[in-house]
Amino acid sequence: MTRHQSPRLGFNLRGALTVAAHEFRLRIRAGRWRWLLGAWFLSLFALTAGIRSALVRSDQIRPGTDMFGGLMLTMLALALLVVPALAAQSVNGYRLRGLLATLQTTLLTPAEIAIGKLAAAWGTAIVFLVTAIPLALWCVAEGASGLRVAVSLGIAAVLLGVICSISLCLSAVLARTTTSGVLSYLAVFALSIGTVVIFVLAVALTQTTETRTTEAGTFEQTVTHPERVWWLLAPNPFIIVADAAPRTLEQPDAGVRLDPLGAIGEVARSARTPGSTLVDSEGIVELGRQAVWPVGLASNAVLGAVALVITIRRLRTPYVKLPKTVRVG
Amino acid sequence: MSAGVALAAGIEAAGVRRTFGNVVAVADVTLSVPRGHVTALVGPNGAGKTTLLLVLATLLKPDTGRVRVAGFDPVTDSVEVRSRTGWMPDSFGTYDTLTAREVLEFAAAAYRIPRQLRPRRAWELLALVHLDEFAERPVHALSRGQRQRLGLARALVHEPTVLLLDEPAAGLDPRSRIELRGLLRGFAAQGCAVLVSSHVLSELETIADRVVFVDRGRSIAEQTLAELPRAERRPWRVRALDPGPLMVFLDHHGTEHGPPDAHGVEVLLSGDEAAAELLAAMVRDGIPVVSFAPAGSDLEAAYLAITEDRQ
Repeated sequence: MTRHQSPRLGFNLRGALTVAAHEFRLRIRAGRWRWLLGAWFLSLFALTAGIRSALVRSDQIRPGTDMFGGLMLTMLALALLVVPALAAQSVNGYRLRGLLATLQTTLLTPAEIAIGKLAAAWGTAIVFLVTAIPLALWCVAEGASGLRVAVSLGIAAVLLGVICSISLCLSAVLARTTTSGVLSYLAVFALSIGTVVIFVLAVALTQTTETRTTEAGTFEQTVTHPERVWWLLAPNPFIIVADAAPRTLEQPDAGVRLDPLGAIGEVARSARTPGSTLVDSEGIVELGRQAVWPVGLASNAVLGAVALVITIRRLRTPYVKLPKTVRVG
Repeated sequence: MSAGVALAAGIEAAGVRRTFGNVVAVADVTLSVPRGHVTALVGPNGAGKTTLLLVLATLLKPDTGRVRVAGFDPVTDSVEVRSRTGWMPDSFGTYDTLTAREVLEFAAAAYRIPRQLRPRRAWELLALVHLDEFAERPVHALSRGQRQRLGLARALVHEPTVLLLDEPAAGLDPRSRIELRGLLRGFAAQGCAVLVSSHVLSELETIADRVVFVDRGRSIAEQTLAELPRAERRPWRVRALDPGPLMVFLDHHGTEHGPPDAHGVEVLLSGDEAAAELLAAMVRDGIPVVSFAPAGSDLEAAYLAITEDRQ
């Protein structure tokens, strides 16, 4: 009898690919993807075309940069609504349907199962981004920088992977699929809105009263210190994507006009390096502020990695402890 | 494979205990499942059969006790155990949108069977469980019994030498049950160790040649079916062409009996000699006897005797 030996523990890429291909096939057969992706593309197309027509009417400058900014932010918002659903039932749903245990008793390792499931969910999320590539190319044709488009989409893809990993982790930790689903959406909410709210509240707490002496005399002034709490904003996916987009070199005539991505990036950077306004007294946009996105991207990467490690640990058998209401199957 | 492993019993467990919080699912189970035999795991609902099988299948860590499956410890050497063990849970899900063949090819991949061997292995198994004509049918279109057979084929994909089957006959039609019996005996004849849990005793009696009784988490007896204690008095069922003379005869003969029904009448007899004597007497007296056979099974009688004092 032939023995098909496996590594005792750990991870084998082929094992993870087996799981990923399997999951991907199940997903393709289960859903009405053509309709979903079609609706996704059409709504983003309508949005991009809308931005373009609005800009072309009002302005002489080429609209590509603004079109892409609007497209990218909307796409990210929509993707953050879709992506938690892709992984939030990957483990507990399998358990409820009696599919997990027969997977765990094969020679696939916990890491292979977890990474395979993550890859399948992440791959599906990336399909959504890829569907929008023709629209991104349209923006490039209208004047957006190709590098900018590529970097933004790449960073967005990474961030969607982080959301997948968090959702997967919740599905491995929690017994009920509804709980893990709801908490996955709460996690997205916390990252994209919660970070901003907490930042605003935290800035208020940094208020100090300082004594200033000028030619006019000495007076007291209330000063906030966003530079102490700027890092609260850093994990926000919108800020990361916006801030990571390479700045356009072309400066519009007015000097103040910025595209949506650049504007968000500048707000975040001014929180990290305050005391200077966006436009100084000569009307020159100040460059060289410290970027926020590397910190944000790194914190998200850590979050995703920790979530993956927890998922792997939760898939390890033999189980020592089982949460209440969980059947092994 | 070293000689020691090859000779090792299929399964050996001693003093196995597993609790879930305050609930003791398995209190103290000791059993051995030798190669070349089909061993039945018998006990009432909630006796700990499924939990025990989960321990053997490397899914649950026992609190205490020593377990060896195919010569390896399921906790520390789970990979070795998994590569040699086929486990079929009592209830399992199926990938509804896949075809039967795809399910088996995926299972083969999960057991790291090389890609080029997977299609052949899938077809072999489909033929083995008589699902070859449904190979390209999606699983959701299969009947419950067909899915059950697919689940069995799935458990066999990596040619295991130890089989753990939890209620494998549930949902099977009579023909499939007979085929399952043949399959399991075939595996045992090839030197596999087969452990089958069920509470359909008449079923097990035809499949198994050994039996382990468990009740309330404890193994309370382990024996071969041939060794099963014969019950002192057991019911026999006798049917005659005309029940009238039969009833008169039984009353006259002084045999304890029940009321007649469409299937004949049950009589209580002590041992095979009494049965032989009664049959001879009935034939001698010209009672038109059509059938005369023990009612219930030895296993059932033994099971009832063993669990009686525990009710």
